[in-house]
Amino acid sequence: MTASFIRSDDFAAFVTALIEAGPVYGPVAKRSRFAFERLETPEELRLDYDVTILPPKKLFFPPAQDLVTFDGAGFRAALEPTEKVLLGVHFYDVKAIDQTDLLFSERNYDINYMAHRETTTIVASNIQTVSKRAFFASVGADVEPQGHDAFLTAINGGYVLETRTERGEALLAFGAFQPATEAQIAEAAAVNVAALERCPEELEHGTEAIADKVRAAFQDEELWTTLAADCFSCGTCNTVCPTCYCFDVQDTWNVDQTSGQRTRFWDGCLTEDFAKCSLGEGACENFREERAARFRHRLMRKATYLNEKLGGPACVGCGRCSAGCTADIADPARVINQIMAS
Amino acid sequence: MNHQCHWTDVENIFLPREATIVCSEQATPSETHFTLKMADGQPIEYEPGQIVELSLFGYGEIPIGIASSPTRKNTFDLVVRSVGRVSGAVTKLGKGESVYVRGPLGHGFDLTKLRGHDVLIVAGGIGLCPTRSLIQYILDRRDEFDRFVLFYGAREPSLQLFTDDLARWRTANDVEYYETVDRGDPSWTGNVGVITTLFPQVELGPETRAVICGPPIFYRFVVRELDMIGIPRENVFVDLERRMKCGVGKCGHCQINDKYVCVDGPVFPFADVQGLEEAF
Repeated sequence: MTASFIRSDDFAAFVTALIEAGPVYGPVAKRSRFAFERLETPEELRLDYDVTILPPKKLFFPPAQDLVTFDGAGFRAALEPTEKVLLGVHFYDVKAIDQTDLLFSERNYDINYMAHRETTTIVASNIQTVSKRAFFASVGADVEPQGHDAFLTAINGGYVLETRTERGEALLAFGAFQPATEAQIAEAAAVNVAALERCPEELEHGTEAIADKVRAAFQDEELWTTLAADCFSCGTCNTVCPTCYCFDVQDTWNVDQTSGQRTRFWDGCLTEDFAKCSLGEGACENFREERAARFRHRLMRKATYLNEKLGGPACVGCGRCSAGCTADIADPARVINQIMAS
Repeated sequence: MNHQCHWTDVENIFLPREATIVCSEQATPSETHFTLKMADGQPIEYEPGQIVELSLFGYGEIPIGIASSPTRKNTFDLVVRSVGRVSGAVTKLGKGESVYVRGPLGHGFDLTKLRGHDVLIVAGGIGLCPTRSLIQYILDRRDEFDRFVLFYGAREPSLQLFTDDLARWRTANDVEYYETVDRGDPSWTGNVGVITTLFPQVELGPETRAVICGPPIFYRFVVRELDMIGIPRENVFVDLERRMKCGVGKCGHCQINDKYVCVDGPVFPFADVQGLEEAF
C-alpha cells in the first residue's frame, strides 16, 4: 500500500469530507478526559488525546446491544450495521481490536460483533500524549497491530497517512494528499518509535516468563488474598479494558408488555455474581465466590490463559484499569512485577 | 482482520428456533419434564450430552442438557427446575405452548470412547437428566456396548426423576441399575446413603468406562471410588454444569480456568479437567 502526506492546513477539509460521506467516530474531549464519539465537526477531533475513558470496542461491541427483538408477531435479529470510519485509534487499541476480532470470529462466528467490525474503516494514529499509567511499550512487544486500514502520524507541517488495505487507500480521495517523501516517512517512523520510549510504567519481564510464573502462582492463596484485599468487586477494570469481552444476556419488555428485546450487556468477572449458579430452593453455588479468586481469574486471563490463542498476552498496556481502579490495585504492570519479584 | 468469512454469509448464532411442547409433566415439586418438537418439523440433530439454550421471550435464556437420546426421533426431552425468572416462567407452560431453543451446543459424550466397553454411569440428583440422553442411547443400541451399570442417587424418594424409567430399569436385564437416597421415607425399602454406598454392591473392572454427573460435591467422592477400582482417569468422563449464558464460547460466565464449559464441554474427560483448580 502507499504512504501519503497531507498538510496541516488541509487536514480539517479531509475530516469534513469524511463526515459528509458518512458517520465518523474519533476521540473528542470530555472535560479533562477523552472519549470516542461521533464527530460533528473536524475541530472536535483531538488527535492529541492521551487515552480514552472507554476503548473503541464499544463501536463493535456496544455496552448494551440488542441481539433479538420480539413482539406479538414473532422475533427477528436486531442487527443493523452501518458503514463508518473510526479515526485516531492508538496502536495498543488496534492490538486489542485484533484480539476481539479473533475471539468473536473463532469457533462460533458472531455476526453481532463482526458485522459492525467489517463495516468499519479504522484509521490508527500516533500517540502524541502518553497517559500517566501506560505501559504499552513493554507488554506483548513483539505483537504487531494488524486490524487497521491506515495509519496516520503527525509530523512537522502535516500528517503522513500510510494505507494498509483497499479501504484505507479509498480514504485518499477525500483529501489533498500527495505522495509522502522518504524523509516524511522516516520522520513518521521516528515519531512512533519515540512514543514507545515515553511510557511511565513497564513490565520488567517478557511474555513467556510472566505467563509461566503467574500460572504457577495460581494456588498461592495468600498472594491473591493480599492483592485483592482492597477490591470493591466493582468491575471497573473489566469495563474499561479493551480486551475484556464478557457479557450478560437479559430480556426486557417494552412498555406495551408484548414487545421487547434480548440484549447483551457488558459484564465483568470481578463482580460478585459473575460465576454464580442457582441450585434451587434458595441455594446457589458461586464458582468464584472470593474476591481473591475473581482478581486471580482476571489476571490469569490477561497474562496466561489466552496467550497461545492470541499469540501474546490479553493485555495491551493502555493503563485504563490502573487509572480507573478506585483502590488502585488493578494495575497489571505493578501486580505482575510484584509476582515476578516474589 | 482475523476472520475467515463475511458476516452476511453467516447465520446469527443468537437466533433461536421455536419448539412446541408436546407433553409436560410435573416430575417433582420443583421440576417439570417437557417433551418438545421443533415447530418447523425439522428435528435438531445432536449427540447425547449436548445442551440447548432454552428461552422464552421477555424472560431470557437458560442452558439445559438434553434429557433424551437422539435415537428417539422427532421429539426431545428437557427437565427444567424452577429456580429463577426463566425457569419459573417456562415451568408454567403446558401442552401446545411454544418455547424457543438454540442448539445443540457444546460437546457431548464421546461415544467412540464408550462403544465396545463396560459402561458405568453415576448420576446424582438432576444429573440424571443429561445422562439420560446417554442411558437411552445405550439401551437403544445395546449391542454396541458391553456391560451397562447405572447408579442413581437422589436426596429423597419424592425427588426421584423419571419414575417410569426407574421402574423399568429396576427389573430390566439390559441395565444393572442401583439406586440410593440420602434420606428414606416410610415407604422406601431400598438403599439409604450417599452415592458411594452403592459401590460395594457391585463388582466393577478397571476396564470400565465411567460417566459422572451430579452436584459439585459429588465428583471428588465418586472419582475416589473409581480410583480404588483402578479405572484410569482418561476413561472417566464428567458432565459439568455452569451458568452458560451465551452457549457459544463468548460471554465468559461458564469459564473454568481457561476452558469454556459451553464449547469445550459440558462433557470432559476427567484427565483434561482434574488439574484445573476451578473445576471441582
